[in-house]
Amino acid sequence: MTYLTDGTKECFLTAFLLAFSDENAVVTSAQAQLSLGQKTVFVAADHDRAARAEKRLLTFDKGCMEDLDYLLRSGMDGHEQVAFRYFKLLAEKKAPVRDMLAEEEVLLASECIRKVTYEIHRMHGFVRFLESASGALYAPLSPDNDVVDLLVPHFRARLPEFPFVLHDVKRKKAAVYDGKNTFLAPLERAEVMLSADEQAWQALWQRYYRSVNIPQRERLKQMKGYMPVRYWKFMPEFSSREPFLT
Amino acid sequence: MIDERRLKILTEGAKYDVSCSSSGSKRKNTGGMGNGYVAGCCHSFTPDGRCISLLKILLSNNCVYNCRYCPNRLDADVPRVSATPEEIAELTIDFYKRNYIEGLFLSSAVDGSPNATMEKLVRTVKLLRTEYRFHGYIHLKGIPRADASLIHEAAKYADRMSYNIELPSERSLKLLAPQKSKESLLLPMRQLYEEKREFSAEKRKGLFLPAGQTTQMIVGASPETDGQIVRLTQSLYRGMGLKRVYYSSYVPVVHDSLLPDLPAGQLREHRLYQADWLLRFYGFTAEEIAPENENLPLDLDPKCAWALRNPQFFPVEVNRAPLEMLLRVPGIGGRSAQKILQARRYTNLSFEHLHKMRVVLKRARHFITASGKFYGAENETAVRKLLIANESMENATQLSLFSTPETALSALTGEL
Repeated sequence: MTYLTDGTKECFLTAFLLAFSDENAVVTSAQAQLSLGQKTVFVAADHDRAARAEKRLLTFDKGCMEDLDYLLRSGMDGHEQVAFRYFKLLAEKKAPVRDMLAEEEVLLASECIRKVTYEIHRMHGFVRFLESASGALYAPLSPDNDVVDLLVPHFRARLPEFPFVLHDVKRKKAAVYDGKNTFLAPLERAEVMLSADEQAWQALWQRYYRSVNIPQRERLKQMKGYMPVRYWKFMPEFSSREPFLT
Repeated sequence: MIDERRLKILTEGAKYDVSCSSSGSKRKNTGGMGNGYVAGCCHSFTPDGRCISLLKILLSNNCVYNCRYCPNRLDADVPRVSATPEEIAELTIDFYKRNYIEGLFLSSAVDGSPNATMEKLVRTVKLLRTEYRFHGYIHLKGIPRADASLIHEAAKYADRMSYNIELPSERSLKLLAPQKSKESLLLPMRQLYEEKREFSAEKRKGLFLPAGQTTQMIVGASPETDGQIVRLTQSLYRGMGLKRVYYSSYVPVVHDSLLPDLPAGQLREHRLYQADWLLRFYGFTAEEIAPENENLPLDLDPKCAWALRNPQFFPVEVNRAPLEMLLRVPGIGGRSAQKILQARRYTNLSFEHLHKMRVVLKRARHFITASGKFYGAENETAVRKLLIANESMENATQLSLFSTPETALSALTGEL
């Protein structure tokens, strides 16, 4: 049976209870993954049952809800099934399974979590702010995983005096820091009036980027390994007036 | 705002400095802008595969020294420019605000006198810390022969400082960098080491060089062997408490009768970094890694070479071997060793488990047993042949500084 969720934690936990004793259970939020012939139930989030499941799972492993949070943020195909199998093993063992890396369920879950946390680290470096005329900062990004709100504490700690918007253009939402509070909001498109100097600073950054390179030592493959091309889209060093790779 | 022309010249003068890491500082934001990121953070990567973490720039490329290998030496016919502390501070702030960089790496040619230059460097850093209330990462290059009081002042504001050893022996230094001397480089390093120790022993408030010191030397411009270089490195880690020693394989940017015309091999630099990792993270000593008058083998990584010289330690049983021994197995790095330690608490590991856990077995299989089973080649000659074949394949496709998983990881976190 396929258990179709809406992608939320509550719905996942409800589905978890429903699917627990089903040997052939597939838990997913992706409609596209429905295969012909496979029976499907649309799971409606049930607040009370989800709360019960959470409470019980927490008695087995105090840290397991953090794992679930990361797993549900994953943009990987089949991530909910990975989470389902991980939590099923946890419920069977009734004790933390995190270190049992010889178990496939644990291995897949830990790799999935690692991808999410790794992307958070990468985004700390790869986010590029544009300065608006009001002095607020705006950064468009399209991460693989749903992590935009998890980036806020990092930037808030270092730029407390600047309101900023981190706009996930893929998921059409934004994490906003207004100089005091932070919140998530749906955001389709943003029009930003750039500050008078913004273009000039970008030009200096492009000049710096080209000057610091050592052309005799070209290693593009390595460069792209560390900074995959899909992240280049919002980086001013790659939207330069001159082609940087010749 | 600094103009593009000077930015270009001052950046090109600084870019051969290898150090770029922004790790090791926990500096807090106490009002203003910026903070430290202990693991370090890479903000971009250039086509040469190096990370941009800090704004790496010179205050001036106008030099009274005449180091033979340096593009900015006195004799060189290059345009001379400088920037003001205010321009550098503004540039740092505006780049940092846009999240282009993690902080500043500031260096300078010896413009006038060492003291005048050092004073200007300190003024820039102080300006950033006090006027701009900037708490991001600052790496400051020390100027040899500047007064001890200036060095001390700099360390109160910088996160990390570095004096470059430049060349791996006193003789080569005399020959190629006649105005620098061993003492002019080692004395300030010693001073900072001792002041930092005192500072932490007395548990004083504030910060004093929280990310410590690093250094760099050029490899392949002078005749020292890898064995000597690795020993020098070890003594710097042990005696001066350095955080990192960087190597830069010699790139001829100037022609000089005392210098080779050809660039030194990147592979040699790569092997030295591998040896450096063995010193810092794998519990090896310099003496184990290479005999004093020899170079590291190019066809094998230094850990493989050590393992082949010491067959009496192998194979080790992955289900029982202590961490120190697992780390000595070729192909097993820190992460794999940790994974093995975690997983074996719950089950007896087989080769299949290791494979599923993504422990790379290409090299390791010749040196381990899993639940008593051995899947390596039978004799040493066969092992050597297979290892060398693996290596040359890897080198053909991805000869790089960062080709082992551990180094790649730390490159990402900006530690390199």
